[in-house]
Amino acid sequence: MNLAVILVIGAAVALGIVVRLAVSYSLQTKKGSNPADIRPIDVEAFRNLINPAEDEYLRRRLPPVEFRMVRRARLGAMAAYVQVAAKNAAVLMGVGESALASGDPRIAEAAQQLVNHAVLLRRNTTVALARIYLALLYPGSEFAAVRVVDRYEQLSGSAMLLGRLQNPATAVRLSSHS
Amino acid sequence: MLQPHSFFWHYLWLAPCVLLASLALFMRRRGLHKEFPAFFCYVLFEAVGGGLLYAIDVSPSTTGSMYWGNYLFYFVLEVVIKFVVIGEVFTHLLRRYPPLGRLAKKLITGVGILLIFAAAIIAAYASPTASWIISTIRILGRSVSVVQCGLIVFLFLFAAHFHLRWERPVFGIALGLGITAAVSLACWSLLAGWIFGQKSYLLDFLNMATYHACVLFWCYCLLVPEESAVTSATLPAEHNLELWNRELERLLQR
Repeated sequence: MNLAVILVIGAAVALGIVVRLAVSYSLQTKKGSNPADIRPIDVEAFRNLINPAEDEYLRRRLPPVEFRMVRRARLGAMAAYVQVAAKNAAVLMGVGESALASGDPRIAEAAQQLVNHAVLLRRNTTVALARIYLALLYPGSEFAAVRVVDRYEQLSGSAMLLGRLQNPATAVRLSSHS
Repeated sequence: MLQPHSFFWHYLWLAPCVLLASLALFMRRRGLHKEFPAFFCYVLFEAVGGGLLYAIDVSPSTTGSMYWGNYLFYFVLEVVIKFVVIGEVFTHLLRRYPPLGRLAKKLITGVGILLIFAAAIIAAYASPTASWIISTIRILGRSVSVVQCGLIVFLFLFAAHFHLRWERPVFGIALGLGITAAVSLACWSLLAGWIFGQKSYLLDFLNMATYHACVLFWCYCLLVPEESAVTSATLPAEHNLELWNRELERLLQR
């Protein structure tokens, strides 16, 4: 009897999750992705935040209790950065998916590249967030989120390439040193 | 109206079989059977198997044990085909996202093992009835529903987390399977717990009505052409690109 009730509640929850996700997906598809939702990230600040040398410096200079507090604050900031990167990746995935249907093969190729980079970034942000939350539990542990930054860099490049192909009139430079 | 062998009961049993047979026909005509071979097999199997079971059920010469024996055979085959269909949905969903392939495989294996473990525990707690065959069907039904329901929920959560785009037929198949799996799980659990007592046939109505609705949904998703994608998402709002440029230049200057 008890098991039956638990399973019925479980089935209702599962049904709720599936229907809710399906409805929100349909609404999101109708709405489409808006590039204006992209929030720029100060990647350099993020790099400093995840720099193991800085952590090591703080570990040497601060008493253990204080170091753990500072480390937790830094990990919290790191999580916030990674969440923004993940949201940006999601928006760019939508943009890339829409551009995939383009008749121009160059745009379609750039869009596919953007989608691939965005998916990779989403995957890396997922793993990075899991590690950050784990590190929050054990602030003394080592942590590296370099791959997120690298992917973000690649994603930026793909987004700009697609933008340039879609609107050649816009002056887009990949690097001031090229 | 809500009595076994009432008109409504006959309708709910036969209508999905007819609809699925028509769906199989249209799928073949449109070449969808090549794109979704497992789902095509499932549709055919349900149309033919459901019709045959109905014929066995209404035949005056059929005994109870004969019916349940046939039902068990049908049910085991259905379970196998459904798992293959779920696999097909996964393959279709992920084929446009090769970078996710390895992670998805690892996660689905892990989730699958956990679900099978949970299903085994649930099966161990089952209380048997007088008839071994009905007990087997109920235990199997409940355990399999747990695994199927869990896999579909995982599939939707995975797609939502990574913002994956569904093709309409795949979305329809997954949603239909998810709804039927959740309702089946609830019905099998209530049946196994004998909570409805003599009114257990009401659960059959709930199950059959849900299945009928899902079959209609499958017909819609597979046969009505998909609207063209949203076109508003062009990237180069100039200021955004400038921001991206600025961020990238900052990266390159380090």
